[in-house]
Amino acid sequence: MANRDFTKQKRGLVAIDGAMALVVVLLVIQIWLLSAALEGFLAGHRGVALPAAIFSGLLFACCLGLNAFVDRVDRHSRRD
Amino acid sequence: MSLLRSPSSEPLWKDEFSVFTADERYVTRRQFVKFLSLASLGMFVGNLWILARAYFAKTPAYPANAVAEVGEIPVKGVKLFSYPTPDDRCILVRTSEDEYVAYSQKCTHLSCAVYYSAKNDRLECPCHRGFFSIKDGSVLQGPPPRPLPRIVLQATGGKLVATGVQVSENG
Amino acid sequence: MGEEYQNKTLTSGKGPILMHGYEFYVDPSRCIGCQSCVKACEECETHRGKSMINFDFIDRSGTTATAAYVCWHCEEPTCAMACPADAIKKGEDGVVQSSLKPRCIGCSNCVLACPFGIPKIFPELEQMMKCDMCYDRTSIGKRPMCATVCPSQALSYVRPEEIARRREKPANVFYFGKQKIVTRVHMMVPEDTDSVSLDVLDYMWEESDVAFAQPQ
Repeated sequence: MANRDFTKQKRGLVAIDGAMALVVVLLVIQIWLLSAALEGFLAGHRGVALPAAIFSGLLFACCLGLNAFVDRVDRHSRRD
Repeated sequence: MSLLRSPSSEPLWKDEFSVFTADERYVTRRQFVKFLSLASLGMFVGNLWILARAYFAKTPAYPANAVAEVGEIPVKGVKLFSYPTPDDRCILVRTSEDEYVAYSQKCTHLSCAVYYSAKNDRLECPCHRGFFSIKDGSVLQGPPPRPLPRIVLQATGGKLVATGVQVSENG
Repeated sequence: MGEEYQNKTLTSGKGPILMHGYEFYVDPSRCIGCQSCVKACEECETHRGKSMINFDFIDRSGTTATAAYVCWHCEEPTCAMACPADAIKKGEDGVVQSSLKPRCIGCSNCVLACPFGIPKIFPELEQMMKCDMCYDRTSIGKRPMCATVCPSQALSYVRPEEIARRREKPANVFYFGKQKIVTRVHMMVPEDTDSVSLDVLDYMWEESDVAFAQPQ
């Protein structure tokens, strides 16, 4: 962990910034999905719940994947 | 989170309390991404909760309450009552000689009390000009997103008895 | 010969030189004991008139030789690793900053940990202070005060090409027993020396061949 390669570090930070922006976009989609499912359920459309839950699960899996990516980039760019 | 760290990397305390200022930004961003993932998990759990409610909801048992006498109100007349609880206001309309309909009075837009307009033969909401059909409570015009819940009526022994609430199920 | 020296200085650290192309070189053999560095350092307002130079009389009874040292700004600073309050930070440009005022508790862990004995504890302030290579000057391309006033350039802050003209060569790898320390500040050593090995036991008493010397 001595004098790092600063270009590698900067590139790592840019990659992490990109991943974070993507996660925020996915989160916004998930928020909309939740509110749409809730409104549909309250209106009596019981069938909305299942596809919404499936897609929400997919988006959450993508968030987890991006989280693991951020961890990996962090480890790589801070290794010697 | 210890499951996601490889065994060869630095111990967690060295990462979190690094002596290098350059690392501080990394730790902050990593924590933020973790928080976002947690929020994503929360949304997913919310959707699962809705799913559970949709599949495992029991049809509630409604009481049978006498609402009015047959012939009590004139044709195109209106009577207000409460069903199933005293807080649920409903409206009974005699549309013709022997036809009665009853709906929940709460507008599905923002819960204003709807009234019956005999001139236009429809239920109207005064707040944002939402109009409901008197025949089945569906939305004719305006901001309400859903039809009015219908109160199921039965005529027994000269009385009109409310036996249930029917929320429209399409989908 | 000049190229060799340049390679030695540039590749011993792993990061790019970010201090406007200058490096700090210490040559104790050039020190004449004028203490200009001590006085110049004292003038700085940021450490309230206390000098951050470590000025040594090598063997006052036997010789007039002196040596002046600044913080060596190690790549993995032992003082920072040992600080319990996380008060010592090393920036991206390689300069190990003095302890952060809100965090330092004056425990003198760093004083004990530093292999070169650089950090100074000031009990009346409950604070450690040490050389930060005049960061307010070097961060904008000026020289540190000590290197500016040293008449013999025992402390010099120049480009590697200028140091290459000297007969000695710069070294920044130190061995304390088995521990290897790589520093940012270079020390001028004889041509045939690659790294400086220092064993505390060697310097404990006059009898250097006795492992555990007892005072007579």
